[in-house]
Amino acid sequence: MHKLAQRRIVIPFLLPALALLGVFFVYPLVRTVGISLSEFSRTGRSTFAGLANYQQLFGDPAYYNALQNTFMLTFVGGCMLFPPAIAIAWGLSQRLHGERFFRFIVFAPIVLSVAVVSLLWKFLYHPTLGLINPALKGVGLDVLARTWLGDPATALPAVAFTSVWHGIGIWVVLLCAGFERLPKDVLEAGRIDGAGEWRLFWTVMLPMMRDLFRVLIVLWIVQSMQAFAFVFIMTDGGPFKSTEIVGTLMYRAAFDHIEFGYAAAMGVVLIVLMLVIAQVLNKVLKRDDVQY
Amino acid sequence: MTTSSTRRTKREARAPFRRYHLFFYLLLGSIAFSTISAFVWVFNASMKSNREFIGTPPWSAADTWRWENYANAWNNANVGAFFGNSILVSVTATVLGVALSAFAAYPIARIPFRVNNLVLSLFLAGLMVPWMVTFIPLYLTLQELGLLDSRTGLILVYATYNLPLNVFVLVGFMKTLPYELEEAAAVDGAGPTRTFVQIILPLLGPALASVSIISFLNNWNEFFYALVFIHSPEYMTLPLGLFQLGQSADYGTNWVTLFAGMMVTVVPVLIVFALLQDHVTKGLTTGALKG
Repeated sequence: MHKLAQRRIVIPFLLPALALLGVFFVYPLVRTVGISLSEFSRTGRSTFAGLANYQQLFGDPAYYNALQNTFMLTFVGGCMLFPPAIAIAWGLSQRLHGERFFRFIVFAPIVLSVAVVSLLWKFLYHPTLGLINPALKGVGLDVLARTWLGDPATALPAVAFTSVWHGIGIWVVLLCAGFERLPKDVLEAGRIDGAGEWRLFWTVMLPMMRDLFRVLIVLWIVQSMQAFAFVFIMTDGGPFKSTEIVGTLMYRAAFDHIEFGYAAAMGVVLIVLMLVIAQVLNKVLKRDDVQY
Repeated sequence: MTTSSTRRTKREARAPFRRYHLFFYLLLGSIAFSTISAFVWVFNASMKSNREFIGTPPWSAADTWRWENYANAWNNANVGAFFGNSILVSVTATVLGVALSAFAAYPIARIPFRVNNLVLSLFLAGLMVPWMVTFIPLYLTLQELGLLDSRTGLILVYATYNLPLNVFVLVGFMKTLPYELEEAAAVDGAGPTRTFVQIILPLLGPALASVSIISFLNNWNEFFYALVFIHSPEYMTLPLGLFQLGQSADYGTNWVTLFAGMMVTVVPVLIVFALLQDHVTKGLTTGALKG
């Protein structure tokens, strides 16, 4: 009776959510594959084109450049993100004075929208009207002053830094949770044995959090592969395509050149790449679990 | 963790100062200093006139406080309208996404039917597949449904993209509840719908708060879909509206209005966050790790 009554609500409970998911996620996803196999004319008519878009894609230097920049953004951003995030989380796990204030400051940028943060940093980086160059000159470090977003050598790191500045709070929160879950008795035992904090950090804390790091690195890569707003708002792919990433290239192909099929093919390749990379990383980073 | 354990009382002593803490104070202090100076700079710039902004060094204080820049941003540059759109879209999409996923998560987590796992993995696919690659068919679909360039279309899309994480977190949470709850309710003569609404739903409090906060933040900050789907200024959300304002500031010379607009959007969000800080950070950890 009870079981039967329960069964009756399965479909009405699931239906609204499944309908939304079907119309706005599953159907578009399937259709992306279809579109990637067709050629769109400017009048909106589509014809089947087979793998032509993919062939064009794999011979397109602009696409390779975008892929390379996407990986660079992921790598450079990861290097800028994880060491400070770990240090901050370690610090916040020490019950310092002003802890709440520091937590607020580190986390606050995440509640600001990407658009606001990008615009803010676009101005902070401005060579003459901004804050960074004039400040550097003010303290006599003129040599470090750059046209940050206008120089192909510094544009990508500058954008990566902005996205790290915006998002670091989330990673700090997750890492803090990791520090909190470390077994207190093991750390105490280490302290009694005379190990310094620095040594405990390297030999006990970091190895014990390996699983968490694995998850966070995969998350970071998946997130970075989809980067769009920071690049689009701050540099729009420039200067000289030095910050062009897959997201911006795809957007431009679709809406500036109306090459829907070509853009969809880029999307499909991105999905495949991401799934492969996530799988490989999960395997590579998975060592035997530390027992404690 | 309960709120009482995270809200530390003054009487609880801080850790005694040790020498290596100096490193953390320096690190956190410099982060705090640079973040605050960035915002002070924007605030100061928002009080200048355009001529003053170009003509004076960046750190010189504005000669008078021009609050009219804020009135300009709110009324003439439409920031007020963008703000209203953003609130409407994010709140509606969050409520819709959370409500639908709570209903969907219940049978998946608690009622064994034939395709439980298949349905769950369908939702979770949304977590694995990069959401932005479907924008072309989504654009075409919205066009066919007549929802392109409308707030309704944006709300439905945002709600859909909240579903995967919401379902993931809520299913995980519901599975931790004891099964005797439903049996006892059935013995007392309550139907499954009533059991869900009166018994399960109230127990979901922390998980619902967590997914609501995460969804709201995502919807509030979303830029890409708004850029692709919305073209009329009267429907633009804040991120898109400010981006447009930024574009025109680039080509024109109206910087101070943009800065005022940025401050208008930043300050209320920061104040709300300061008040809800514990809930937000706790919600994020619950959602991301324990789920």
